[in-house]
Amino acid sequence: MSAPSITATTSATCWSCSAATGGAHFCPACGKIQPLPRGADYFGFFGLPQKLAIDLPDLEQRFHSLSWKLHPDNFVRASEDERQLSLDRSSQLNDAYRTLQNPVARVEYLLGLAGMRKEGQKKQQAPPELLEEVFELNESLDELRDARESGGSAATMAGLREKLETAQHKFESLLVDVDKELSRVSSEWDRALDSGADDAARKKIMERMNEILNRRSYVRNLVNGVRQELVTGDS
Amino acid sequence: MARTVGIDLGTTYSLIAYQDKREGRPKCIPGPYGTPLCPSVVSVDPNGSIIVGEPARRRLLTQPERTIYSVKRLMGRGPADVQNELKIFPFRIDPASSNVIRVRLGDRVFTPPEISAFILRELKSWADEYFQDVVDRAVVTVPAYFNDAQRQATRDAGRLAGLEVLRLVNEPTAAALAYGLHEKKRGRVAVYDFGGGTFDISILKLISTTDGDIYQVLSTNGDTHLGGDDIDNALQAVAREEIRARGVDLDTHPEVVQEVRKALIAAKHELSDADKATVKLPLPNGGVYFREIKRAEYDKWIRPIVDRTMAPVRQALGDAKLTPAEIEEVVLVGGSTRVPLVRRTVEEFFGRTPHAELNPDEVVALGAAVQADILEGGVKDMLLLDVTPLSLGIETMGGVVAKIIPRNSTIPASAQEMFTTGVENQTGIDIHVLQGERELAKDCRSLARFQLKVPPGPAGLARIEVKYLIDASGILQVSAHDLRTGEQHSIEVQPSYGLDDAEVERILEESIEYAEQDFSERQLIEARNEAETVLNATEKALAREQNEAPGELSDDERRAIDGAVAALREALAGRDYKLVRQFVDVLNQATTPLAERMMNRALATAFEGKQLDKV
Repeated sequence: MSAPSITATTSATCWSCSAATGGAHFCPACGKIQPLPRGADYFGFFGLPQKLAIDLPDLEQRFHSLSWKLHPDNFVRASEDERQLSLDRSSQLNDAYRTLQNPVARVEYLLGLAGMRKEGQKKQQAPPELLEEVFELNESLDELRDARESGGSAATMAGLREKLETAQHKFESLLVDVDKELSRVSSEWDRALDSGADDAARKKIMERMNEILNRRSYVRNLVNGVRQELVTGDS
Repeated sequence: MARTVGIDLGTTYSLIAYQDKREGRPKCIPGPYGTPLCPSVVSVDPNGSIIVGEPARRRLLTQPERTIYSVKRLMGRGPADVQNELKIFPFRIDPASSNVIRVRLGDRVFTPPEISAFILRELKSWADEYFQDVVDRAVVTVPAYFNDAQRQATRDAGRLAGLEVLRLVNEPTAAALAYGLHEKKRGRVAVYDFGGGTFDISILKLISTTDGDIYQVLSTNGDTHLGGDDIDNALQAVAREEIRARGVDLDTHPEVVQEVRKALIAAKHELSDADKATVKLPLPNGGVYFREIKRAEYDKWIRPIVDRTMAPVRQALGDAKLTPAEIEEVVLVGGSTRVPLVRRTVEEFFGRTPHAELNPDEVVALGAAVQADILEGGVKDMLLLDVTPLSLGIETMGGVVAKIIPRNSTIPASAQEMFTTGVENQTGIDIHVLQGERELAKDCRSLARFQLKVPPGPAGLARIEVKYLIDASGILQVSAHDLRTGEQHSIEVQPSYGLDDAEVERILEESIEYAEQDFSERQLIEARNEAETVLNATEKALAREQNEAPGELSDDERRAIDGAVAALREALAGRDYKLVRQFVDVLNQATTPLAERMMNRALATAFEGKQLDKV
């Protein structure tokens, strides 16, 4: 492991020929690869606005086209500094593609840019209307574990499994609902950007998205927990 | 212009290949024995010289304590990791091993990267000889599921061999490159790579774009300690018991173990085509181990090993969000895919006949040569986008791992983490980087521990951003940036397993005394050693025949042997290693009937003994 030597500069001039670069991947004058400006965002990296509706085939095409240009394969014989710049840019490209490809990670990232997904703001929020069912679920889970340990009868086990499977389906469909809601609010965000809504209005939408993400994280954990319990039972 | 070659540094065999620019296709470079397969075996002669490849493999029988095979299993691992291997492999680990394993060969001690470097150096000499030019840049392949330490160890081996390793490429991906070039197909491909010591599965998407063809890996999985070696060991376990029943305990006869292994490997190879194979082996108590192995029985013994490959296959498909039916082509790579049960299992799982047109031993080296040519700027319309096989994480409170780069992320990939101080005038922050999928740090692979230095000040004032970057070879770089001062911190990273830079330098300096001898000089020495061995064996066999069965040796046979011996002695007086080798072969042929008669007599005696037992 080694520490790379080059430091990203915030200036938008080429490190090699001093021409203005406007934050482009390559200097428009001399064609040299440019350092990543600090705080460069994933949307801008692909030349996209910070909108949440993304045409995936178009994104893939942009990803491929940039991969051809930025990949370290092209810089094997370049200077050490340029090799490092290619590493920085191509890793940013891959990180950005991985994030923007996924509609949930995309929202999470957008909120992160606005400083809204810091530690402490991220939490698993139990939707109040679910509390009763979650209690019931936890009870069934406990019973199943107890029965498994004490070697409960096949009928008891089958009964508990059925209960859990029903709960799993319920929570899975709930996850689908949450995702639909997230997608609805995402469209709202895009419309707000288009209509030039003010900061306060945008912040309000972001807060709603943040709340949906917290709820989603809770439900997803439930689904994973039950799934794992059912798998353990199988093996 | 210096050439860049592709090298497959395998568990059992290693190969070196290059892109033939005239023909526009990759080719393997043959070694002095006419085959491109160099056995990954290293032996240290009592005179101190290092012997690699075929002659070293012969020494497994004559000088097992000075000879090592399957060293790839030890790359990038600590002594605690290899306890299981030690039960089944004749590795002699030096008790002084700490982070890095040290292996004893005769009276000398080497690290696994040094031993691998001997193999790389041998291959490099093949290429130097072939091109009559110095080859010093290479693309080297590694199992896709190799972790950071195993990759670093491989890169160190290259450096120790005097090669600039431009890139490490994952073996199944290299195979896909060679395959894609050959078949010109597009779509979703699964590469099932079952080698001598490692298993990999990679799922790829082959895409045509306006700039050229992209080979995008969607997911990968595997087991870096699962391979043909394990099949050999399973057969050996059965043989060991059966030989014990014949009154020979192999534990007290280590010299016979390699003979047994060799015979079982021959039987395994036979069972790739035939329905049964026969093992005939004289035992030190005068008896014989005679065993017919039927295919069904063989399949039963090795089924658990083959089954172990399927969990990674399912995981990789799941990670790529694909079902077996969505895979359009299945490509088989690695010598162990010649095992009929392996082919059948893969075919049944994917529901289609796998591709095996390309030589499974050569395809990885050929792919590495293609990637070497891409890096040289030769091939411009192919691009490989590979992934990291394991999640990267850092240890947080309570020994829990926070994943910062998920497995199957396209590489290069990176992640930033912000750190601050918890108490006033804290001078450092401890960071522990790990690789693996488990929740707790103790269950993951430790890559490195280091301390971030911070200027003294009130708690929480420092703001240091640490950047973790996995490069295109799958190797981690760490850098730190102090956001308050804008300073770039250099980080002293001590790898948890492996050589540090100072140690690599020290080994490099020491290795000057064992500097490469001239290629043909070395070949001559090896050929002469081999000739002496064969001449001695012939002499002994003739004496024994005279003793046990006087008169069985015909005059024609005697004349043929005498003629071959004389010719070989004459060749030995010269300096032409090829000539020496040629007459070694002639003598071996001339003595074949003699050797067969000896074996048959030993068998007859053994069966006689059995009859007597029954009486």
